[in-house]
Amino acid sequence: MPAYIGDAGDSPAPVDPSRSAPGSGLRRAMAPARAAGRAGAVAALALLWLLVCGPGDSGCHLLTVADLFDRVIRHSGRIHSLSTTLYTELEKHFPPRDNELGKPARKCHTSGMLTPNGKEYAQKIPREELTHLILKLLQAWKEPLSHFNQHIEHHQELPDDSLSKAKQISNMVHELKTGVEKVTKKMQSMGIISNSLNGMASSEGTGLSISNEANMMSDSDFIHCFRRDSNKVQSYLKILKCRIMPENSC
Amino acid sequence: MKQRFISSVQIILQLALTTAGLTGQSYPGKPKIIRCRSLEKETFSCWWKPGSDGGLPTNYTLFYSKDSEEKIYECPDYQASGPNSCYFDKNHTNPWTTYIITVMATNEIGSNSSDPQYVDVTSIVQPDAPVNLSLETKTSASITYLWAKWSPPPLAAVSSNSHVYHYELRLKPEEKEEWETISVGLQTHYKVTGLQAGVKYIVQVRCMLDLGEWSEWSSERNIQIPNGESPPEKPTIIKCRSPEKETFTCWWKPGSDGGHHINHTLLYSKEGEEKVYECPDYKTAGPNSCYFDKKHTSFWTIYNITVRATNEMGSNVSDPHYVDVTYIVQPDPPVNITLELKKSVNRKPYLVLTWSPPPLADVRSGWLTLEYELRLKPEEGEEWETIFVGQQTQCKMFSLNPGKRYIVQIHCKPDHHGSWSEWSPEMYIQIPTDFRVKDMVVWIIVGVLSSLICLIMSWTMILKGYRMMAFILPPVPGPKIKGIDKHLLETGKSEELLSALGCHGFPPTSDCDELLIEYLEVEDSEDQQLMPSHDNPSKNMKMIPKETDSDSGRGSCDSPSLLSEKCREPRALPSALQTQDVRAVQENKGAKRSWETQCIASEQEALLFNNESTKSSTWPAVQLLPNSQLPMFAYHSTVEAHTIILNTTNVNISPVLVGNEEKHQSRYPVTEAVHDNMEKQREMEYFITEQTTVQVQQNRHNDKSPFLNPKLMDYVEVHKVRQDEEPTVLLKHKDNNGKTEKYTVPGTSKEYTKVSTVVDHNILVLMPDSRIQHTPVSQEPTMETSQNLQQGQAEKNMSYCLTAPSDCKRETSGSEYMDPSSFMPSFK
Repeated sequence: MPAYIGDAGDSPAPVDPSRSAPGSGLRRAMAPARAAGRAGAVAALALLWLLVCGPGDSGCHLLTVADLFDRVIRHSGRIHSLSTTLYTELEKHFPPRDNELGKPARKCHTSGMLTPNGKEYAQKIPREELTHLILKLLQAWKEPLSHFNQHIEHHQELPDDSLSKAKQISNMVHELKTGVEKVTKKMQSMGIISNSLNGMASSEGTGLSISNEANMMSDSDFIHCFRRDSNKVQSYLKILKCRIMPENSC
Repeated sequence: MKQRFISSVQIILQLALTTAGLTGQSYPGKPKIIRCRSLEKETFSCWWKPGSDGGLPTNYTLFYSKDSEEKIYECPDYQASGPNSCYFDKNHTNPWTTYIITVMATNEIGSNSSDPQYVDVTSIVQPDAPVNLSLETKTSASITYLWAKWSPPPLAAVSSNSHVYHYELRLKPEEKEEWETISVGLQTHYKVTGLQAGVKYIVQVRCMLDLGEWSEWSSERNIQIPNGESPPEKPTIIKCRSPEKETFTCWWKPGSDGGHHINHTLLYSKEGEEKVYECPDYKTAGPNSCYFDKKHTSFWTIYNITVRATNEMGSNVSDPHYVDVTYIVQPDPPVNITLELKKSVNRKPYLVLTWSPPPLADVRSGWLTLEYELRLKPEEGEEWETIFVGQQTQCKMFSLNPGKRYIVQIHCKPDHHGSWSEWSPEMYIQIPTDFRVKDMVVWIIVGVLSSLICLIMSWTMILKGYRMMAFILPPVPGPKIKGIDKHLLETGKSEELLSALGCHGFPPTSDCDELLIEYLEVEDSEDQQLMPSHDNPSKNMKMIPKETDSDSGRGSCDSPSLLSEKCREPRALPSALQTQDVRAVQENKGAKRSWETQCIASEQEALLFNNESTKSSTWPAVQLLPNSQLPMFAYHSTVEAHTIILNTTNVNISPVLVGNEEKHQSRYPVTEAVHDNMEKQREMEYFITEQTTVQVQQNRHNDKSPFLNPKLMDYVEVHKVRQDEEPTVLLKHKDNNGKTEKYTVPGTSKEYTKVSTVVDHNILVLMPDSRIQHTPVSQEPTMETSQNLQQGQAEKNMSYCLTAPSDCKRETSGSEYMDPSSFMPSFK
């Protein structure tokens, strides 16, 4: 577990070697889904622990908002990298019928959400709203991702590696959401943002309805959309961090 | 019926012809109806060809009859269709009737009729050829085609325009024979495709009514098909790039143009939207580009971009290009790259690289995060060493090869997406050679140089041999030189040194002798006056000035007085005043002397009793003299001072006195001799001065040590030598006395000498006592001083006054020491 923590902290490599490379052989022997599940659980625990207690400090309260942000951003970056890899793998196995990007039918289930599509918008939008948007985006993918995992297991032609990646992504999104919630609470407690975003309950309902829409998408479209949204989340997190702490390596 | 009729007519005509032929002038020949033709089915004309005229003017008459009636009509209009023709207008034309037409040629002789022509109007219809044929080439959808237009044939009857013609068009390349005939239909224009570019074609048309015959081909028309003119090729979108993740630009490469100016149009649509927009800005990013500013740049959406190229000949559209701006971010290379060499603690150089993110990239907002990678290689190297740096903007490079020139480049890339920037321009850095090597070199150079110097040195040594040896290790000089050198050098006056050398080195020098003699004479007067007044301590004081005087006279030869002066000099005030004192004393001599004489007796006694007191008084006297320059007052004061000092000294030095006394006792004979000498001295006033010198010398001997007794003996002899030049005998005595005194004195202490000398002068009168006294007296002050000296000799910070005496004594002793050593053997 400590190795994983270090890994999470240090390497923003496009593909996490500790997961993809060594796991491939081992997981083939085991039931891939279970293996991935375990890995995901481990990762989730690790992240939770990371968010609660930083390595080395006895008093967990010493973790600053900046530290939390850095971890969350790194985590979202890794999710994005993982989804990019998975997307290219799926493209290989399910070549697009027509032009890869040109399908006009491609529409993400989160497209309906109004999100800032540029730097200036993201900087103008109130902090609370941006935070809320990040959480909403993550929430919107929680259900569809678990559905996707169940669905994708029936694809016999897919390599176990891809399946485990999908599992990982699903778990990591859950972790990320937990992490972002943690940061949000911390910021609220410190008065950095107001407590005005308690409307998450209503957004969960919309998330469910959205997820049905997500189930209608093809696999590669699904991952394509997820990859896009993971990048969105990362960008928003970075912007949010630099807006709150402009002096902190921004 | 008809046939009979026709045959009958023919017979008639043949008959007529034959008759005419017979006569020469006969009836006209048989005309021939060439053709009957209707242009438009409503009128028709018939033309005939005349036969032989028979030599006579002939009239032609056309008769026609309709198949439905027996009646014969004549041609209604011979003019309209030209000569030898007959035009049947609308009224005379009935399409449903067959006309039987004959032409009769008539002259005076007879007439002749043509064969009857049966004419069915509908079957003789043949329109004229179409007119106004025009040709042009056109390009549509990258295809060049020929466009032909013409008009229907004109009709005489303007009213009859409702005819429908069918047209045919034929064309062929100019150089070919075969026509290509194309059925056009009812339209009066036609598009010919598939033509060869650059070839000249000939085109004709003809037309036909729905019945009848095709018209003649229209007149020929030529046209040149344009060479290479075509719509432009497909342009290609090369790439789209966003330098800062806020705007982006797309570039395309135009295809080959079709010989015409091409207009490029960029069209785009966003994902999920049907609307197509045109590029907002063609200019900012240069030719063949489109710049999307912040307003037009959306993230997390896909742009579908096409470029249309259009010219006169047509247009062509590029393949669509799909762009997600997030993934086309390619920043500019980093800027402000600095290379700096620093030295670590162990003096090994290392390279510090710093750089800044590209100016366009807004890193601070968090919207764009850059990662850096740098590469470097030695200038002559082939392979780059690439180092991923991460998000930091500086890097330290260790373990670089010293003495090599490195090339360094940096590029950057957004994290997780986008692509690497171009490499920054090459930066060069020279790694200095290893410092340790430098040190080694320096040391080697130093070593070589030093060894060279050593070599040269030894070489010269060998060459010059003993000279060098002598130089480095000079031969030990004789003792006298040593002595003179030391003392005189210490005193610091080169003149004295020279004088001393001159005198001692050559004892019989005339100069010295003369000087001595002269001084003796001068001194004599003073001495004589003084002689009686030896006893008083005040006289002692006076004596000192005399000595100084005598010294000045003797200066060149013997320097005790000078030495004493020098000794005094350190005493700040007295030294300066002493000279004055001397004068004053001399001035006051008269009074003093008188005073002295009065006191002689008492003094003697006093001296006898208190040797120490007198001796001690000498010192203060010297010091006090300046103060007592005023004759009487000073004197009193001095006396008082003496007494005071005496008291103190007595108390302190009583034991010493005892010692002295003991010595005196032990050497009684000597003292006796002294007495003798003293007596002689009284007699011989001359020698007083000399005695003083002798005494000084002797005292010096004493200073040196009692161990030197034998030398002292010699010393005495030396004095003799000197004195031998002059009254010798007396001198010896004195010397002996001096010796004895000295012998006694040394036991007590070395430093008495000076005081003793001074005292000696005074004492010279009272020979034995004074000498005995001298030593102890001198002891006391010296004891004081010596004590101080002993304490502080090492320090020398002590007042120079105190130290001075000892120095002086040493000097004098040294100087004298020289002489005896040189003359020793002579006496022995």
